[in-house]
Amino acid sequence: MKFLNGKKLGGVFMAAVMVCGFAALAFGSGGEGSAAGGHGEGSFPQAKVMDLLWRALNFAGLVIILVWALKKPLSNALSGRRQGIIEKFEDLESRKADAERIYKEYEAKLAGIDAEVDAIVSAAVAQGQVEKDRIIADAQRAAGDIKRQAEMAIQHEFAEARLRLRSEIAEEAVLMAESIIKQNLQATDQSRLVEDYLEKVGAIQ
Amino acid sequence: MKNTVLAKRYAKALFAVGKEENALEEYSRSLTELAGLSVEIPELLDGLTNPQYPQDVREKVMVYLVGVIQAPQLMVNFLNLLVLKRRANVLSDIAEVFQQMVDAENNRCQGIVVSATELGAELNEKIKATLEKLTGKQVIMQNQVDPSIIGGIVAKVGDLVLDGSIKTQLTGLKESIKGSE
Repeated sequence: MKFLNGKKLGGVFMAAVMVCGFAALAFGSGGEGSAAGGHGEGSFPQAKVMDLLWRALNFAGLVIILVWALKKPLSNALSGRRQGIIEKFEDLESRKADAERIYKEYEAKLAGIDAEVDAIVSAAVAQGQVEKDRIIADAQRAAGDIKRQAEMAIQHEFAEARLRLRSEIAEEAVLMAESIIKQNLQATDQSRLVEDYLEKVGAIQ
Repeated sequence: MKNTVLAKRYAKALFAVGKEENALEEYSRSLTELAGLSVEIPELLDGLTNPQYPQDVREKVMVYLVGVIQAPQLMVNFLNLLVLKRRANVLSDIAEVFQQMVDAENNRCQGIVVSATELGAELNEKIKATLEKLTGKQVIMQNQVDPSIIGGIVAKVGDLVLDGSIKTQLTGLKESIKGSE
């Protein structure tokens, strides 16, 4: 868009004015020759030449006004447009660089994906092993607790059974002793028992 | 259910009068006989205490009873008062408390000796002597036979209990076997 800058536009405008001017002069000189040649039918009258000149000048004035009025906004618009395009180019360049970088990263990742998979599998295996060890340790601890509780229950049951047995033995022993005493106790024994007890009580007193 | 507080109140009053009249033994005998009758014949106590019977009927029952036991006049009045006040139900308690008071007054106490078989007179004397030695009072002893104690004696005098029975010794033996480790 370099051809649209102010100087070039002014040059083009001047060239256009000069062409129009020369054209008018040429046309005017041609007209006079025709008129000198005896007012032939193809010659232009003076009034028409002047009208044409006036129109040309009018057009040139319009062009000058247009150039003067539109020069700055048009120049700014074109300059902004050019700047926008430049920025867009730069943005696209940057995005292209980013895409290329990402592409390279993914390429590198893809190249190392096997190693990464291996690392993940290894980590999972290690974690599984740790979990396995923990579960085994918990199970062993629970088994120990159960064993201890069972031992305590056995000891408790054993103690109760021993107590019951001792109680039954005592009951039986006393019943047997009672039976034997009843069978063998004589009247003299009764008296002796009472006298012995009275002696004991008297001695205590 | 024993009503000791009430019985003590009546016994104390009767004791004061009896002491004044010098008739404690007689009153004690009358009360004991009447209490014994009421225990032996529950219907008798019912006739004295049941509110379904009219008051005059209950009084007549008591009049008949005091006639049977030939109680002195003051005792008759006392027993009629009990019926009138509807306190005939504490008669046996009054008799017991009154007996204790009379015994205490005469420096004596009641004793019960339980044995597996009948005891001879000589042995009874020995027991009595021992109990009197222990209590420092004259002991009026009653004998009871209970074969379940197997042998020996159980003597009860007031709060004192002497247990020399084979049954108790065997129980102690049983407990020691159970408790020994």
